[in-house]
Amino acid sequence: MNANDQPTIPITDLRHRQPRFQGIESGHRACLGCGEALAARLVTEAAGPDVMIANATGCLEIFTTPWPESAWRLPWMHSLFENTGAIAAGMEAALKAQGKSTKVLAFGGDGGTFDIGFQSLSGMLERGHNVLYVCYDNEAYMNTGIQRSSSTPHAAITTTSPAGRERMGKRHLKKDILTIIASHHIPYAASASVAYPCDIRQKVRRAMEIEGPTFLLIHSPCPLGWGHDGALSIEVARLAVKTGLFPLIELERGELIGAMPLRDPRPVTEYLRLQQRFAHLFKDDPRARQELEHLQALAERNIEYYGLKGTQDDPRDSEGADTVRRGGQRWA
Amino acid sequence: MTELTRGAYALPGTSLTFKTGTWRVQKPVHHYRPAPCRNACPAGEDAQAYLGLLAQGKPQKAWEAIVEANPLPAITGRVCHHPCESACNRGQYDEAIGIHGVERFLGDEAIRLGWAYPVTPPAAEARQVAVVGAGPAGLSAAYHLLRRGYRVSLFDSLPVAGGTCRMAIPPYRLPRNVLEAEIERLLATGIDFRAQQQLGRDVSLQELQQDFGAVFLGPGTQKNREWSIDGAVPRDLHVGLDLLKEWMTVGSMIQASSVAIIGGGNTAVDMARVLKRCGVPTVHIITHQSLPGDGEDAEDAMRAIPREISQAQEEGVIIHPHRGILRLILRGERVVGVEMAHMKKLPRPDGSVQRVPFEGTETVLHVDQVIPAIGQQVDDSGMADLLQRQPLFSPDASCALPGHPGIYVGGDARPGTGSVSAAVGDGRRAAAAIDRYLRGLEPALDNLPEAVPFQQINLNYFEHAPRIDAPILPPAQRSGQEEIETSLEANQAGHEAGRCLSCGNCLACDNCWTLCPDSAVLKTTERAADGSHYVFDYDYCKGCGLCAHECPCGYIAMEDEG
Amino acid sequence: MRKALEGSQAIAQAVALCRPQVIAAYPITPQTHIVENIAKLVADGKLHCEYVSVESEFSAASVVLGAALAGSRTYTASASQGILLMAEVLFNIAGSRVPIVMTCANRAVSAPLSIWNDQQDSMAVRDAGWIQLYCADNQEAVDTTIQAYRIAERTELPVMVCVDGFSLTHTLEPIDIPPQQQVDAFLPPYQFARTLDPRKPISMGTLVSPDHYPEARHSHHQALLNAADEIVAADADWAAISGRSSGGLLQVEGDPDAEIAILTLGSVHGTLADARELHPELGPVKLIRLRSFRPFPTAALLQACAGLTDLVVLERALSPGGGGIVGVEVKAALLGLPNPPRVHNFAVGLGGRDVPLDIYPRLLQTVRSQPPGPFALFDVDLGRLPAEDR
Repeated sequence: MNANDQPTIPITDLRHRQPRFQGIESGHRACLGCGEALAARLVTEAAGPDVMIANATGCLEIFTTPWPESAWRLPWMHSLFENTGAIAAGMEAALKAQGKSTKVLAFGGDGGTFDIGFQSLSGMLERGHNVLYVCYDNEAYMNTGIQRSSSTPHAAITTTSPAGRERMGKRHLKKDILTIIASHHIPYAASASVAYPCDIRQKVRRAMEIEGPTFLLIHSPCPLGWGHDGALSIEVARLAVKTGLFPLIELERGELIGAMPLRDPRPVTEYLRLQQRFAHLFKDDPRARQELEHLQALAERNIEYYGLKGTQDDPRDSEGADTVRRGGQRWA
Repeated sequence: MTELTRGAYALPGTSLTFKTGTWRVQKPVHHYRPAPCRNACPAGEDAQAYLGLLAQGKPQKAWEAIVEANPLPAITGRVCHHPCESACNRGQYDEAIGIHGVERFLGDEAIRLGWAYPVTPPAAEARQVAVVGAGPAGLSAAYHLLRRGYRVSLFDSLPVAGGTCRMAIPPYRLPRNVLEAEIERLLATGIDFRAQQQLGRDVSLQELQQDFGAVFLGPGTQKNREWSIDGAVPRDLHVGLDLLKEWMTVGSMIQASSVAIIGGGNTAVDMARVLKRCGVPTVHIITHQSLPGDGEDAEDAMRAIPREISQAQEEGVIIHPHRGILRLILRGERVVGVEMAHMKKLPRPDGSVQRVPFEGTETVLHVDQVIPAIGQQVDDSGMADLLQRQPLFSPDASCALPGHPGIYVGGDARPGTGSVSAAVGDGRRAAAAIDRYLRGLEPALDNLPEAVPFQQINLNYFEHAPRIDAPILPPAQRSGQEEIETSLEANQAGHEAGRCLSCGNCLACDNCWTLCPDSAVLKTTERAADGSHYVFDYDYCKGCGLCAHECPCGYIAMEDEG
Repeated sequence: MRKALEGSQAIAQAVALCRPQVIAAYPITPQTHIVENIAKLVADGKLHCEYVSVESEFSAASVVLGAALAGSRTYTASASQGILLMAEVLFNIAGSRVPIVMTCANRAVSAPLSIWNDQQDSMAVRDAGWIQLYCADNQEAVDTTIQAYRIAERTELPVMVCVDGFSLTHTLEPIDIPPQQQVDAFLPPYQFARTLDPRKPISMGTLVSPDHYPEARHSHHQALLNAADEIVAADADWAAISGRSSGGLLQVEGDPDAEIAILTLGSVHGTLADARELHPELGPVKLIRLRSFRPFPTAALLQACAGLTDLVVLERALSPGGGGIVGVEVKAALLGLPNPPRVHNFAVGLGGRDVPLDIYPRLLQTVRSQPPGPFALFDVDLGRLPAEDR
């Protein structure tokens, strides 16, 4: 078979006949292998065309809308960094007053959600607005050049938490946003990962059906910020889940109702060694050893706390979810 | 410059004007590579292709893919030693795909449902080619020549076609009705079969060379090798293959209470099992080779198919590996025993190999028959000039006989594995070479690129699934001629096909389409020029390599841009 | 129908008459009564809207922004600290050219902390790109609020209706609340050209490069300048329906031949008007009341100041280290006159200090006895400051 022939189908034609809803078009300026671009594409695909989006300042907003270009095929507003929850709440109130069915989505990165945008998110959740808030978690302020946020994992290197004689990367732990979200007792909150696209789609559809505030945290690797090749984004994301460092859980009204079991939990080093932001932990330094143990302990604590240890025969576990079959069928 | 909109709003999808494809330094391409099963198949079948078709619910298309290469799947699906399964990448993950069982299933289905071979009758003025020997090599050569549009005349000294398959493979391995059906359907495609034509006696090689454009010889190895122990042979010497053939044609077998068969090939094993079925209480196989899988190197292993060996052992045959016979113990001219010693083939200083018996390991085995099954050689009747007293022919890789333009040789008559599937492969290659020869073209070999290694399969996307094997008759029930192995059911064959990792070829799993952050992989129901159903949109592809890394089949490769 | 109403209450009723669909409410003295009154109207079923009790002022501004984009008429109110907290959003709203109306209940800005009235808050955000209109009394607050919706929706610029905190918000006045039909005749249903709609999915809030940014800014600036005409037209049209004008861009009262004028924004005008009536002996003095501060009504001001020898600019805020805010803009505008009057620029009543009636004679005394000095706080008591801080 000939690998490099031009296809016999006109591409521009083909592009508009894809059997999926295209909420984000090609031509956006995300980095190669960007996990956030993929996550946003998957979310808008699953959410469908009858939505309105409020988007925080950050990578996603910047790489999709350099005027006069926009990659969005959905009604979309970027206001500021800290007010996405409130913009979404306002949109929702207006649509409700007008009796319309359009669902409001709020998109923000971890900076705009865990930190500066936290208050307006909390207010939106507390008031029960019918909004699906999706946080694309790449674990730092990436758009401004990789600065630490409260979502940055412990011991990770960023430009504002570098390693050196006095420091081993970020001192503080990753903020447990889901527990905080859970205590708002909203109908549905979940974490997901780009390594499990079917799982993302299912969770988005679940949230879309719910009348009320819902929250989705999607782990989105940043090749530039995490220090790995763009081709490895999925592999890195998968290992984050398989080690237990990023558990995929579901909460309803604050109660844990589901988690993706780990069939065979991997040691955290398998995940960490793929990323430059943890390279300092693999040097010959006693502090490095201690940090590795700390991260392993955090992972094990997650496994224990969320009951992630699976059995061999769960087709929805970390090995079984998103396995493929011929013809595009997936296990999920 | 674009007119500024109020509030600087942008219109939907306008990012398409920005062709991010210009960012690339490497680009994804569909890179078909053979799966290891394809490279391993002596007949040249593409198991990945037909497993794929079966998995898509197209059994007839799957069978047609098999008979692109091998017209005898119902036969090979029973007697082949399936090197495809040994090479199968899945074997390194959980269990190899049961390709052999699937081939058998499809071969049987074709017979049952009467699927037509993809052959159109040749033109009346088409050139003619002669094929001598209607064993698997000759049948395959005839079939492939017919497909290439030649008129073929197939000669055999026996009244019926089939060669070794008919004469030397017992019915409990290859039932007669299956053999007959397959051969009959194959001959019915338009091969002019001329039975009872012995080369030398009834037709000469010169006549064939005159009347036909080219000649393919698949004469097999009909002559027994010389065998003696220090020059001594028993008076009532029976050679294994002759006994086997006689049992298969006439049904009679020698009487004995204890037999030692010398040799480690399929004939020796088949002979042993037939003797057991005929009621001989004790049957030994003595071979200087090792049992397969004993951790010894593969060169040293018995040549017989491993499952045949283990089935023989289940049926009570006693095998003595790494043994040789020092002398026959005769009473008068009858054998009453053999003296055996441990023996191995070891290299001499000059690199050649000799059989070395080890002093002090001698034992006596009490037997009343010794049957050599040490291999055959070509019967050169009518071909003495070609063979020049060699045991086997030495054709080149395209089966052409050097120094004899227009003459081609394949099957057991040339050195090789001596398997049915290798013979089929020879027939196919020879047909291609004959075709080029007759069209005045330079010979060409089909060079398959390297197969996809296991490391390039992304196993994250495959769940473990147990292999399904069709049940085998337990030893206690293996009495006479009844076939020991059974067939997979349709859904079981489908299950096996579904386990195929599709190494090197698209599984249509949608992974690339799902995971591209730039929506630069587009899906199509038509086939793109490279045969897949996915097209890379190089206007936007940034060359990140995610698709290649996450392709479960190793079908996408990243090439340097420009 | 005329009723004695507290200013906040009247504004609340005016808002309700404009049929907003989404209201964002966050408490801050002295606007809290407005949102409280609105809450009661909603609870009693007299106003049907989505009433969103937000968790901060920047969320209040953001909620109304989101709602306006999604196609609904909106309202919110704030003051002082809240205005500054939402400052980022105010710039964002105006730059996005979204029609929104809010009330600013003018209050001093911390530090030092003060809950009382001056105009530092609205002055601090004069560059945000909003239309800013100042009300002299509560009737004007009602009428201006109603006009503000039409102005905003026609110009696609947000409007800040400035109402002095406590002085107006917490004062009872007899107010004519217009009947619903009058308001409906004046205000068509909310229509925004760039409403976000899945059927026409545009992207708002894009990144604009240097190649296009100056054009965007020019466009905004020009829109504000052009809005002056709409402000005048809205006032005239409303006057025709209701019988009441709120003064257009600015209003001049007094003897047309007077050579001295005092220029103010907001409710302090009322004090001066009362005082002038008490002191006819002090001679003819014009009172210029600036209603529109943004856009700055240069042409109207030049017309009002023609023939003046002295102009007192009496403002309710300052720019520390610079001086007066209104004064500087007035002086700059007056350069357009061949013989501009001398400008005496004072701030008065900062932090809610009472402006007594006798400020009128004292101002005139100052004007007539001295040439204009540097900007000063007219009512500051320097004796209460240590020497080095005077």
